[in-house]
Amino acid sequence: MYAVDMSDTTSKPVPEAKSIADPADLLARIAESKDRKALAELFRQLAPRLKSMMLKLGADGALAEDLVQETLLAVWRKAHLYSPDRGAAVTWIFTIARNLRIDQLRRLSNKPYEDLEGIETTDDTPNGLQRIEQQEIISRVKTALGDLPKDQQEVIRLSFLSDMTHSDIAERLDIPLGTVKSRLRLAYGRLRPLLEDLQ
Amino acid sequence: MTVSHHPDITTLMAFSAGSLDEPYALVISTHLAMCEGCRAQLDRLDVIGGALLAGVEEEPVSDDALDALLGRLDEAPAEDPIRMQPRGADVPAPLARYAPEGLDALPWKGRGGGVATCELPVSPHAQSRLMLLRVGAGRAVPEHGHGGHELTLILRGSYSDRFGRFGVGDIADHDQDVEHQPIAEMGEDCICLIAVDAKLNFRSRLMKLLQPLVGI
Repeated sequence: MYAVDMSDTTSKPVPEAKSIADPADLLARIAESKDRKALAELFRQLAPRLKSMMLKLGADGALAEDLVQETLLAVWRKAHLYSPDRGAAVTWIFTIARNLRIDQLRRLSNKPYEDLEGIETTDDTPNGLQRIEQQEIISRVKTALGDLPKDQQEVIRLSFLSDMTHSDIAERLDIPLGTVKSRLRLAYGRLRPLLEDLQ
Repeated sequence: MTVSHHPDITTLMAFSAGSLDEPYALVISTHLAMCEGCRAQLDRLDVIGGALLAGVEEEPVSDDALDALLGRLDEAPAEDPIRMQPRGADVPAPLARYAPEGLDALPWKGRGGGVATCELPVSPHAQSRLMLLRVGAGRAVPEHGHGGHELTLILRGSYSDRFGRFGVGDIADHDQDVEHQPIAEMGEDCICLIAVDAKLNFRSRLMKLLQPLVGI
């Protein structure tokens, strides 16, 4: 049995009720006025998903909750660094959660990810997409992930939603490492047109 | 800086997912500091992570989790990690913690034949090794195969092998089935940052004898 629920990305999109605030707006409110209600709303939207992700990535219940708290605390402190021009809010929050998890679970003595944070792409021209389109990209990529052939979907999900290296995945699925990589390349080839929209 | 050799897309995917062992993550991070194209590529790959986070099923959090978070908002942040200011022009930021005084100040060990190495300390949890290799201008590294995934990033000088010419910022992303014999170009020593998960396997009898000494 795999630690991956293949049905995740195929689930129907949650109906976008009017009351669901755009995470990018919530981040802007935090950045501008340290709005606690905005953070609480972000917590309600994302904490249960962040916790789920941390559990899949190998944290036990208590550590998963700690990491969720640390992630949202970092979001609170760094909200001014988020720029909606460069991507969806949920992608930015994913990277914060990833970096914290690497620190805590993989316990790297050094911080290769953090040291990269200070380096901006000099070609930092806004890609001109509206926030709503960034959200739209996320939902299109979500759908596309669900539409991938099962074998490609499986390696993508194990890659991002488990603490396994590509070699671990090869061992788990009992396939050669080269096959794991070729499936990842095929999956990337399918997703790429959607991701390139960003440029 | 014109970078013409980049990591394999699957290596960048592993970096984005956060599953690379520290030595590999550090080499990729250092390359990213030198390569805008790959930074843009990483931004695109991170969207996959964002979409998966947006689509993952929800796991209930404990009732007091939100209050606990709100109670911490006024805490002073833990001291910011000191961001090392690299001294040497050829020490990109992610590498500065490992070589704070520049590449030339590191404890290099001469290995003969114009080759020197320097093992960089990594977390005890790491399962692979991080090292620097310095090859004298015009000298060759003995032909060798690879016992596993190997990443080589050029920090200074350049070398050529059957895959082409590798200059500053270029990365060679080799799987285990690769054999090659890099030759440093004339004019300047070539210094590379390398992550390996197994000992290199030197082909020649002489190098087999030397391997324990060379230590790579």
